[in-house]
Amino acid sequence: MAGRKKEKVQHYYDYTIIISVLLLFGIGLIMIYSTSSYQATLDYGDAAYYLKKQAIAGAIGFVFMLIFSLIDYRIYRKLFLFTVPLSIIMIFLVLTPLGVTVKGARRWLDVGIGFRFQPAEVVKLCMIIYTAAMVCIAGQKVIETFVGTLKIVIIPMIMGALVWKITDNLSSGFIIVGIAAVMVFVATRNYKVYIFSGIGAALLATGLVYYIKQTANVESSGFRAARILAWLDPEAYASGKGYQTVQALYAIGNGGYFGKGLGESMQKLGFIPEAQNDMIFSIICEEMGLVGASIIIFLFLFLIFKCSIVAYNASDMFGGFLVIGVIAHIAIQVFLNIAVVTNLIPNTGISLPFISYGGSSILFLFIEMGLVFSVSRQIKLD
Amino acid sequence: MPKNNISNRKMMPHMRRKLATTTGLVMLAFGALCLRIYAINRDNGDKYTRQVLSQQEYDSIVLPYKRGDILDSKGTTMASSEKVYNVILDSKLAGVDEKTIQATTQALAKCFRLNASELTKYIKDNPTSQYYILSKKLTYDEIASFVELQNDTKNNPDIKGVWFEEEYIRVYPNNSMACDVIGWTDKDFKGHYGLEEYYDDILRGTNGREYGYLNEESALERTTKPAVDGNSIVTTLDANIQSIVEKYLEEFNNTYKNAYRDGNGAQNTGCIIMNIHTGEIMAMASYPFYNLNDIYNTDPLIGTTLLDVNGKAQDEVITEDTLKRLDTDTKYANLNNLWKNFSINNTYEPGSVSKVLTVAGALESGKISGNETYFCGGYLEKGGHEIHCHNRLGDGMLTVKQAVEKSCNVALMHIGEAEGKTNFLQFQQLFNLGLKTNLDLAGESRTASLVYNEKTMGEAELATSTFGQGFNVTMIQMISAFSSIINGGYYYEPHIVSKIISSDGTTVKNIEPRLLKQTVSESTSDKIIDYCNGVVTEGTGTTARPAGYAIGGKTGTAEMAPRTKRNYVVSFMGYAPANNPDIAIYVVVDRPNAAAQDDAKYATRIVRKILTEVLPYLGYPMTEELSEKEATELEENKLLLHAPKTVEADANNGQENENGEKVTNEEGTTITVTEGSNLTEGIQKEGSEPTLSPEEEALNAQEEEWKKRLESYEKDPETGYLIEPGTGLLIDPQTGALVEGDSYME
Repeated sequence: MAGRKKEKVQHYYDYTIIISVLLLFGIGLIMIYSTSSYQATLDYGDAAYYLKKQAIAGAIGFVFMLIFSLIDYRIYRKLFLFTVPLSIIMIFLVLTPLGVTVKGARRWLDVGIGFRFQPAEVVKLCMIIYTAAMVCIAGQKVIETFVGTLKIVIIPMIMGALVWKITDNLSSGFIIVGIAAVMVFVATRNYKVYIFSGIGAALLATGLVYYIKQTANVESSGFRAARILAWLDPEAYASGKGYQTVQALYAIGNGGYFGKGLGESMQKLGFIPEAQNDMIFSIICEEMGLVGASIIIFLFLFLIFKCSIVAYNASDMFGGFLVIGVIAHIAIQVFLNIAVVTNLIPNTGISLPFISYGGSSILFLFIEMGLVFSVSRQIKLD
Repeated sequence: MPKNNISNRKMMPHMRRKLATTTGLVMLAFGALCLRIYAINRDNGDKYTRQVLSQQEYDSIVLPYKRGDILDSKGTTMASSEKVYNVILDSKLAGVDEKTIQATTQALAKCFRLNASELTKYIKDNPTSQYYILSKKLTYDEIASFVELQNDTKNNPDIKGVWFEEEYIRVYPNNSMACDVIGWTDKDFKGHYGLEEYYDDILRGTNGREYGYLNEESALERTTKPAVDGNSIVTTLDANIQSIVEKYLEEFNNTYKNAYRDGNGAQNTGCIIMNIHTGEIMAMASYPFYNLNDIYNTDPLIGTTLLDVNGKAQDEVITEDTLKRLDTDTKYANLNNLWKNFSINNTYEPGSVSKVLTVAGALESGKISGNETYFCGGYLEKGGHEIHCHNRLGDGMLTVKQAVEKSCNVALMHIGEAEGKTNFLQFQQLFNLGLKTNLDLAGESRTASLVYNEKTMGEAELATSTFGQGFNVTMIQMISAFSSIINGGYYYEPHIVSKIISSDGTTVKNIEPRLLKQTVSESTSDKIIDYCNGVVTEGTGTTARPAGYAIGGKTGTAEMAPRTKRNYVVSFMGYAPANNPDIAIYVVVDRPNAAAQDDAKYATRIVRKILTEVLPYLGYPMTEELSEKEATELEENKLLLHAPKTVEADANNGQENENGEKVTNEEGTTITVTEGSNLTEGIQKEGSEPTLSPEEEALNAQEEEWKKRLESYEKDPETGYLIEPGTGLLIDPQTGALVEGDSYME
């Protein structure tokens, strides 16, 4: 550890975190260029169109990360109640003329000068702060009760529901609830409840899937049911709902163990639409193979491990839970994204942190990393 | 990790444990993801790789190249490629919802006369089909109405899933014109026969490719590697001359078909017109023709001799009934024969036209001077054979010029004897007989084994070779050699393409005339021109002369093997204008449909008709006075209009020579127009010289004997034919030929 070698340094700064973040972001840039250059040339006549936009967003994000790392996180604890109205305002802003509909979903806000972001990202950050603060405030005895836990997670659940219903973004809503769930899981002593509720949720999901499979067909049911059918047998729906999934699987299969080589993906040539977004991991698999994909997964794990050390040693509980929230956010998104790409779960739009193309996602991820650094700065070394 | 030194007042131990548990769970979950990726590759890696490759092919479109055009020397298009469109239906896109299905099928039904309900059924039954060809090879005009509807996205936002695949078709705007020269392409645009085959590499381009897909909004998104179009070729053909030639070949057929036997006017009728100064082919045609836009049409086969599967001629003429019963293979064998270019593919014994070559060779080798005199008594014994002149009565005393004019076999045998076998064969090779001319057309025959060499040529073979029997040639060989003899001795490689141009019109390559060798000297050339002019003015070729013009040439009547069949190839090989030749013309009529085929007039008449139109077209002024009959004939055919200047010049000539029988043209050469000249008249004058050498005395003795023999012939009271003593064969007193067809060997 950097801190151990330099005895005089008062603050704990783990540079390996920043290196792994920048490594992931760098790989992301390369893969965005690889996957999007073909389409960008067609659409904009500039192969580096997406690359440039992502690099600019990354640079801005990096500056924000530095700023947030210098701000003492403890002030958020005092301001945590503002996160609720801020989240609500952000969510409902999409209904105003600021809201922008992209691909049929009104989940974007246009704040002018060409900058557009998803309020869901803000809500995620707000709910991390809110939940962390609530865990600290509630006290251990309250947390251990069902009602106490519910009191903490009720607001994230409402926010998740609003994000789902108002901004038509189920996956972000699910992530918000998921982050809060992980945070209360860590906060409580109890395992049983979580194990049972986990098993219960799995059974419920299985039952629901079974029900849909028995009764529904693609033509008559809604798009979510259709997605589940396509998930169960993507090749049967290869020309419709299963198209993206099947193409992603083809890409993974085409990549093999060592990949086709950087830039050699064939699937990015139009077969996987907007491969630089949610499906970028399939192109990573195709170009870099199982080996490359495993290295990236390992990098995420390393980042999460390092962050958990920060949380473990955080100077106060609020700081620790802020970092746990960030860990949960990254871990859930990475898992869900790769699970979608490998067809472990039904197709839903979740981006791969630091790697997928998307300015607002990158910006808020860097801000979250800024929080992690802010927390780690306060770890006192003797 | 300095854990113990860090303040841990706030993070409780159970939280740290749970944090560690959570991190561990994340590791497990991520590990599971890696396993999942591994499992996908292990279980389906190969299958998915194949899928990727197959859909890559599936979703990329070949952009067809445009095969180059074939143009004539004036820029007339003889072959071109036209873009056509296949209508493709993509059910996946057209079937997204009822509204789209309805709008799309209705638009299709309206524009392409398709059944809307059938289309709807197809889309619903095959929702994943992305490539269903609705209609093929439509022109742009035919798809324009649909494209308009499709592009009008305001009014028709729901027309989706229809696109047009581009393709080219080969089009020959003049149908059958120059079919043998041009050739055709198959569905893969591979050239077959003629220019299409020979210049396949030049005309061919490279296909481009369009990689693309239809995105979620059903918009076409594509990237394009454009096709490289083929180069075009400019030929030396002149479509006008070509059509004149073809008109008269067809007219000949119409005149003589079914005249004596069933079938066409001749087995084959070919014509080549060549620029003698460059070797450029101006026209090349052979009847029967076929339509290049409809090559498998068997109608042109009607009237030709039936071939079996192996291409062997049968004793039957193809009729409509024959076609009905023919199996595919036999039909194909016959079509194959039809597609061949007679002018370069078929070999035949040239007959008397090759006497020009013999005389030129003998003159050039110095073995004769041109001042010799020969005696023809109707036959000569050579190598143990009695070889006849086609005039069995004998031509009497002949100069070299007269020998050519009268096409005397006996005189030519004497000349060949003087020249000798070695010289004869040397010149045959110099004239390129037995060798390919390397004309730039596919399908030229090899004739190396069809001519004699030192070993195979005996006395009799040399004798018959002098008058063009016993060895085989192609038309292109003959006219190329002939052109060199009359142009001063320059043998040009015959060629038909003068320029290669790229698809954007820039010149890629100019093909210059290629002088290969000197065959004869200028003086020999001049002598031959003099002899050949004589053939047309007073010899066997008078009927080849077009009204108002002086030309030269040589007739040919070759007897085909087996000699007993009395089958002939008659021909005329000539040039114009007579004194300063520019173009050569060669017409071959293979087995004319007549009782007596051995009459070169079948060929000379075609030549006359062709030149009557071609010479004014090429801008040659008339040099000869028109007889009243000729003038009316030209007037009727409106051919005088082609050469108004000529009429004036001719009128002047006419005034000056109003009473003269002979017309002197500008060059001062005297040209006598004699028709049906008497056999013996001119000969006696030339034969009686005052001082006689022993050889000449011997000749005179032969002549005396011959005259006596002539008197012994009796006249058949009914027909007026002479009866040959001993054999009883009937002989035409005018030509000296056997009535039922001549044979030079018994």
